[in-house]
Amino acid sequence: MGVTCVSQMPVAEGKSVQQTVELLTRELEMLGAEKQGTFCVDDETYHTAASTLGSQGQAGKLMYVMHNSEYPLSCFALFENGPCLVADTNFDVLMVKLKGFFQSAKASKIETRGTRYQYYDFLVKVGTVTMGPSARGISVEGEYGPSVVASDCWSLLLEFLQSFLGSNTPGAPTVFGNRHDAVYSPADTMLQYMGLFNKIRRQQQGPVAGIR
Amino acid sequence: MADVLSVGVNLEAFAQAISAIQALRSSVSRVFDCLKDGMRNKETLEGREKAFIAHFQDNLHSVNRDLNELERLSNLVGKPSENHPLHNSGLLSLDPVQDKTPLYSQLLQAYKWSNKLQYHAGLASGLLNQQSLKRSANQMGVSAKRRPKAQPTTLVLPPQYVDDVISRIDRMFPEMTIHLSRPNGTSAMLLVTLGKVLKVIVVMRSLFIDRTIVKGYNENVYTEDGKLDIWSKSNYQVFQKVTDHATTALLHYQLPQMPDVVVRSFMTWLRSYIKLFQAPCQRCGKFLQDGLPPTWRDFRTLEAFHDTCRQ
Repeated sequence: MGVTCVSQMPVAEGKSVQQTVELLTRELEMLGAEKQGTFCVDDETYHTAASTLGSQGQAGKLMYVMHNSEYPLSCFALFENGPCLVADTNFDVLMVKLKGFFQSAKASKIETRGTRYQYYDFLVKVGTVTMGPSARGISVEGEYGPSVVASDCWSLLLEFLQSFLGSNTPGAPTVFGNRHDAVYSPADTMLQYMGLFNKIRRQQQGPVAGIR
Repeated sequence: MADVLSVGVNLEAFAQAISAIQALRSSVSRVFDCLKDGMRNKETLEGREKAFIAHFQDNLHSVNRDLNELERLSNLVGKPSENHPLHNSGLLSLDPVQDKTPLYSQLLQAYKWSNKLQYHAGLASGLLNQQSLKRSANQMGVSAKRRPKAQPTTLVLPPQYVDDVISRIDRMFPEMTIHLSRPNGTSAMLLVTLGKVLKVIVVMRSLFIDRTIVKGYNENVYTEDGKLDIWSKSNYQVFQKVTDHATTALLHYQLPQMPDVVVRSFMTWLRSYIKLFQAPCQRCGKFLQDGLPPTWRDFRTLEAFHDTCRQ
């Protein structure tokens, strides 16, 4: 597990999502990256059930249950600003049993699917974010395997991302700022994905307000 | 076939000799036919015997004649050239079934290849001897009689001394921790952990550094039995590159009389890798070159360079 940066690639002017993805993959292949299969990251939302809120009228918290094909035997459960739980895949079955406490928000499943590329010690994943049948955006993930401390290799990762994203290179993810010398973990990657998915969800709900 | 024959052979005499052989064969078979046929039917026994003997003698004379002719011709034919480089194995070239058993051509290729190899090895050993890589304190060229029979003292050090030196170096640098173990006899094996960047396994021979393997901080350095894994390479290309550089370093820092200074300098050099991912290359200013960060550290100044950028 190396340091990972997840960002959103804006759709190019006058092109569809599919075409932008193709442009990106062509850039990567020109750089010399090798295709290495596919990946998938998905996310389901759960509300805390009304019956557990009690009389104080607290707002229901949202919980996200995510899977990542990079860690096929794990399941991640996160709250928006809270802790992230890493469990095994039986957690999904547990969620069914906890129907009384957590209810799934319908039509909230969002996922990104795409191809994986390997370039020396870097791993790049370019995926199309879909919610239901429609494509909503493009996610780009860059990982540098050898390093485990985010603050160490951010400049290195940035230089690599610039080489194929050009002007669309993102800034440092906020998760990097929170942990200075701590070892990077997969939960941080999932936090970044959660942030990305939420941004895309909000984009679709308020297209006027949230143009990127 | 053409390899064996040369212009020393008289081809005409050769053809004549072949026909002389045929003539000889037919006269010999006539002799045997005559014997097989036996005596012809004639009036008297004497007549039959005489006729038979005369016939037999004629046949033998013709055999004799043909044989002399053949001998004369064979002297004219001349010897095939003695020029095979492989002496007797050159006769393998006479094998007509070249497709299924190409022994002769393979044999020639093998000899040419081994001659070339010998030549190149000679050149390489000459060049390598100029750069002496022997790290023991023995002098080359001192005759066996004058050289002391005992091993140099730096090679046989008490393990306690080695432990002391290593623990002193461990305390020298705060971000570097050295763990010493002796799983295989008296050679020390060090596990050096440098911050959260990398781990180095150093195999030693008394106080000389023998081999190093550099792996990532999150990679497993133990085998399934829990022993230190000193053979498997890192999964990441950057650490494989750093392993090569570390091997170069351990050959560079040499001082047979004072091995603890050597170990100290090696560890100082290794410590510069704490900024492996943070330092840009001093020459080109970039972080990445061919997907690798600057992995070379200059031996004197400890500056970071890309492998392709170093002077």
